Amino acid sequence: MFSQRELERYKRQIMLFGEGGQERLKKSTIVIAGAGGLGSPVALYLAAAGVGTIKIVDNDLVEQSNLNRQILHNDRDIGKKKVDSAAEKLQSINPDISVWAIHTTIDATNATSLVGNADGIVDAMDNFATRYLLNDVAITKKIPLFHGAIRGFYGQATTIIPKKSACLRCIFPKAPPPEVFPVIGVTPGVIGAVQATEVIKYLLNIGGLLTNRLFIWDGMQASAEEIHVERDPHCEACGTKKEMKRKRT
Amino acid sequence: MNVRVRFFAQFGELLGTDIIAEPSSGVALDSLIKEIASKNKEGYDAIFDEHGSFREFVIIMRNGKRLDMADAKKARIADGDEIAVFPPVAGG
Repeated sequence: MFSQRELERYKRQIMLFGEGGQERLKKSTIVIAGAGGLGSPVALYLAAAGVGTIKIVDNDLVEQSNLNRQILHNDRDIGKKKVDSAAEKLQSINPDISVWAIHTTIDATNATSLVGNADGIVDAMDNFATRYLLNDVAITKKIPLFHGAIRGFYGQATTIIPKKSACLRCIFPKAPPPEVFPVIGVTPGVIGAVQATEVIKYLLNIGGLLTNRLFIWDGMQASAEEIHVERDPHCEACGTKKEMKRKRT
Repeated sequence: MNVRVRFFAQFGELLGTDIIAEPSSGVALDSLIKEIASKNKEGYDAIFDEHGSFREFVIIMRNGKRLDMADAKKARIADGDEIAVFPPVAGG
């Protein structure tokens, strides 16, 4: 059941998917891994849309050099935990949702419990090591992973439905070398909005997801396209021995 | 024959994003990419290692299908092929 305030808040999107759809969003839990460039727009849009429980995980403090792109945080937040800064903004945007601020480093010892019984994981990380870990957790728990990554004016996104569509390792078997990447804030804005759109469609079971498709955005050329990708039966993360055997015979 | 080679992300910034090449028949895919990339050392070094092999994280697509590294080395280009070369980006 919704309060009058909620009905008013969500009026324009209830026009799209009804109170039943809004109820599904309200009952959903999404883990956002990262409260930085991608995590900011993803969290803002999911909070505004009324995703009932948002768990946002990050181990960093807000720094001045974050503020060109990490739009959840502002100058007054410098030195604060990013997740606390994020939770404060998200709750003020939508007091009718629950926000869990989890200040920790995602690693092999805690990834599974951090994800818990969430309905989906948003990959808003800045490194492939943690992305691969989230990919493994998504596969084990059979919950979707909404991938996004950016560099400069360029970004990519895909949606992974474990065992049904290509996983992160099927598409990117090897991580690129770590770097301090250049970025302009609009790029994670575009890709984060794509990821949030995917989450909402998945939760509502509407539309066509970015499964088996890598969405590519080149802001410099104002060009968007997609590359068809597919599951790799030999994938070390989601390929099964059974599938490998079947492939060989 | 005509082949379209597309470079994405920083590869595109260094080598151009969309190149129509006219290689001779039967040329190897890696030779074609090397020839195009050799016009810019930084671009070449971003894609190939010191032994002239594709760096392991480089993604090569041929007509929309990803090639694994072994296939990318031995693949022969055919007329009308569209090759995409891109790095995964990692920032967030």
